[in-house]
Amino acid sequence: MDFAISSILFYVFAAMTLICACAVIFSRNPVTSAMNMALCFAGTAALLFGMGAQFLGIVQIIVYAGAILVLFLFVVMMLDIRTEEEDNSFSVFRSLVRMAPGALVAGVFGSMICIAALKLPGATEWNNPLCTACDSIGELAIGEQEPTQVQQSGKYGAALPKLNPAVAAKVLNPAISDEEAAAATSMPDVKLLGQRLFTDYNVAFVILSFALLAGTVGAVALSRKIRKD
Amino acid sequence: MDIPLAHYLILSGLLFSIGLAGVLIRKNIIVVFMCLEMMLSAANLSLVAFSRANGVDGVPVYDPQVLALFVVAIAAAEVAIGLALIVAMFRARRTVSSASLNTLKED
Repeated sequence: MDFAISSILFYVFAAMTLICACAVIFSRNPVTSAMNMALCFAGTAALLFGMGAQFLGIVQIIVYAGAILVLFLFVVMMLDIRTEEEDNSFSVFRSLVRMAPGALVAGVFGSMICIAALKLPGATEWNNPLCTACDSIGELAIGEQEPTQVQQSGKYGAALPKLNPAVAAKVLNPAISDEEAAAATSMPDVKLLGQRLFTDYNVAFVILSFALLAGTVGAVALSRKIRKD
Repeated sequence: MDIPLAHYLILSGLLFSIGLAGVLIRKNIIVVFMCLEMMLSAANLSLVAFSRANGVDGVPVYDPQVLALFVVAIAAAEVAIGLALIVAMFRARRTVSSASLNTLKED
């Protein structure tokens, strides 16, 4: 039962993310855009949680919905953009003409990605739990060798592989016994990510911290008032 | 968890193209910047989906998640720089419309 709820939640949060993303574009007030962006990022974070990437979900909320949103709101409220909003006189036809090229390019791009994703091997052979009945009828008619073939070819259509905390515990600490590993109940997501980050990607991590430092210095240098003397 | 990988990819592509539409349509450069952030987070979504789908024995591959973490960190630095640039632009031009960025030299 819980798998059905989790798959329904996926579609709920996906719809919320897409609707809020559209609201970011179409709201005329930048503050409303920023708020919708926060909701969009919250939906993305929920999807990341659903995929078992808890650390990235938390980072998504803290960094995007926390820090970046506050930065945007500060700038929107600091700059007086009301003069900007008034001068474009509202005309439906003109705004549609102005939007058409961009919307066309983005629409073609989006449908291209969707078609490419659906053309992936086995992408349309979706094992929906809601229509397992139809599948079982089909199996009766065709035979038993069909499902294994779908499992082989349909990597993109099959559900994402189940997380296995026992194997993860064994990967994290090979010294522990099988019984101790089997007793693990939750995924050590943060530990596995941190292990990878601080061993294989340590140099990149240090360079990244320099990029953040450069960003901070650059932001201060750029936003400082230039004296005319 | 029985959402196929293709659905994550479609969602990520749709989110990316909505962000692209915003970048192309909107003139307010702050909203353009928000849409850029949405495109980055759409890319993150598909990275994490691939990390799960390519997992071995129920343990995800963590290299894409490390990359997603790097993307988030670079996005944070980029927002700081970009908003500073927008503030500087507003000081120079008194507007945040990208249509006003049509001269190289201040007259």
